[in-house]
Amino acid sequence: MTQTSENQIDTRPLLTGDTVSADEAQAAAELYRELISQHGSPLLVFDANVLREQFRSLQAALPKVELYYAVKAHPDANIIKVIDELGGGFDIASAGEMDLLLDHQVSGRRTIHTHPIKKDQEIRDALRFGATTFVVDNFHELKKLVNYRSRVGVLLRVSFRSASAKVDLSKKFGCSPDEVLALVEQAEQLGIHIKGLSFHVGSQVEDASKHVEAIHACRQLMSQINRQAEKPLSVLDIGGGFPADYELAGFSINTFCAPIRNALAELPSDWHLIAEPGRYLIAPAVTSITSIAGKSQRNGFAWYYLDDGIYGSYSGQLFDHATYPLQVFRGGQTAASIIAGPTCDSIDIVAENIMLPSLEIGDLVVGHQMGAYTAATKTRFNSLPDAKLVVLNASARVD
Amino acid sequence: MKYFKETLYDAVCQEYRVDKLYFESKTEHQHLMIFHNAMLGRVMTLDGIVQTTEADEFIYHEMLAHVPMLAHGQAKRVLIIGGGDGGMLREVVKHPIAHVTQVEIDQSVVDMAIEYLPKHSNGAYNDARLNLVIDDGFNFVNTFAASDNEKFDVIISDSTDPIGPGEVLFSDDFYRLAKACLKSDGIMVTQNGVPFFQADEVQNTQTRMGALYRDMRFYCAPIPTYYGGFMTFAWGTDNTSASAPDAADLNHRFEALALETRYYNPAIHTASFALPQYIHKAIESA
Repeated sequence: MTQTSENQIDTRPLLTGDTVSADEAQAAAELYRELISQHGSPLLVFDANVLREQFRSLQAALPKVELYYAVKAHPDANIIKVIDELGGGFDIASAGEMDLLLDHQVSGRRTIHTHPIKKDQEIRDALRFGATTFVVDNFHELKKLVNYRSRVGVLLRVSFRSASAKVDLSKKFGCSPDEVLALVEQAEQLGIHIKGLSFHVGSQVEDASKHVEAIHACRQLMSQINRQAEKPLSVLDIGGGFPADYELAGFSINTFCAPIRNALAELPSDWHLIAEPGRYLIAPAVTSITSIAGKSQRNGFAWYYLDDGIYGSYSGQLFDHATYPLQVFRGGQTAASIIAGPTCDSIDIVAENIMLPSLEIGDLVVGHQMGAYTAATKTRFNSLPDAKLVVLNASARVD
Repeated sequence: MKYFKETLYDAVCQEYRVDKLYFESKTEHQHLMIFHNAMLGRVMTLDGIVQTTEADEFIYHEMLAHVPMLAHGQAKRVLIIGGGDGGMLREVVKHPIAHVTQVEIDQSVVDMAIEYLPKHSNGAYNDARLNLVIDDGFNFVNTFAASDNEKFDVIISDSTDPIGPGEVLFSDDFYRLAKACLKSDGIMVTQNGVPFFQADEVQNTQTRMGALYRDMRFYCAPIPTYYGGFMTFAWGTDNTSASAPDAADLNHRFEALALETRYYNPAIHTASFALPQYIHKAIESA
């Protein structure tokens, strides 16, 4: 959690003039200043090459899995364009997300609609868009698909209680594993085809043990069903959860995915495997650039007021419980400081009791790993303008 | 988009190479495309579903127009609901009618079809007997049914898929109001989906239209790009002899018109009312 008390020191990764080599910091600062002078402040800078690299790394770590980018993580046309160019699919959950894909001429055939709870109109909109894969987790939702049963393929979302963890892996959605057989039977009676199972271990998990547990459990369930079922289940959607490197600790997706790869290798080779990565793909590809609009000294803290904050690009610190690494371009003696956002609300604090070198009005404060669930959850509180998204390396590198 | 993949079904799909994209329009909830394909000529798609192709549209349009028209024998006033591409109108105006009203919800569909699918209407939109009404089909029959206007001998519902803009044209109320626009011996026909994959559509129509007419049945024809074998057409009339005209009469009417058809002929007309067992069973379970 971000909102530490004033007594606790904010220990997030902090890059300063003292921790980053002078050349490196200067090059970054120059680029950011150039972008600010061109486009204004605040900005979100999307580097398409980073997204390409993340996508390829995850694809290499899970070679047999089809990747469907979770559009909700950052619903932006520039990002969709890059995923499209990489041949990725799209995990969608609303009509607005479909419109975004339609604008970019992405066929509904390359999407899965993953919201477990849908109004009838949303199902109709999704079908007209061209999505035919739907996710359900209970009988009420199954019944909603009866009118469309000739057209749809359904994934049953299962929620697993981990033996090792005391927390529910999936609190809001998902049926329990012991409901699966009955739901598959009920679907068959309704003339609806359940084509597979899906699960979500949660977001930003520490290791893949929960994925592995869930894959083993789904394998057992699907094999058990397939021994009797007329129409075999053949799709396993392993969801997301692939973490972003908020600690800047040099995270390796290949190492993280190794146990998942092993678990998937035990599945029948004709099963279709899909995943819905969002955070891992887009988090490091977007950097927030804000400017210090004002400063003051209050109650023993140096206060710096940014032109973007909790109601804008940093909304993920509230909604997503994320803490983003920060960077400033000065060094020297540090003092207990508070970085605040631009709104009049006292909750609009980006970092509390963080040890910063002395900064000046007009200085840049940069947030790293800020691509996922940041702008996606921004509000229009105080009618402040959005941080504009600027794209670097929009065209693919020619090697 | 270099390939068009139909999104009608989850487990199977037909794919078309897009050789040239002529037209594309995206409105809030509607995506329309017209492109050329080497095997099928110009193809029109709506919301990811093939609506018509130059190569096989003749089967659909001839069967939905000529079967009721020739079965009736003396149709003078015809109503077409939908059919914005103009193919249905083209076939209807080949008959010695006095008047045809076509109700299309969107003028831009007509304009677009005249420009990009000119072979479909083939000039029929200039026919002096045509009254083209830009209105919602449901709204039109609702207003017309309450008016003193002379009713129709034949009504043809050339609609889109029930999931989408054509939804209301598959409703109980629409069928009831449409019947109120029909003369007592008139015939109403509607496109009714491909029952091999969409048995629900036949069952729904059987229930809804079947309650209104003394004679409600289906006839069928295979349209290659409406993938899945036979397409069914619903047939509703209170004239119980209309579905089985005397063979000599039918031949005589066909010859008298000198229709140049590519699918329809009197033998096909009669045979099209024979349904395969799987369609009978689907209807019976309605």
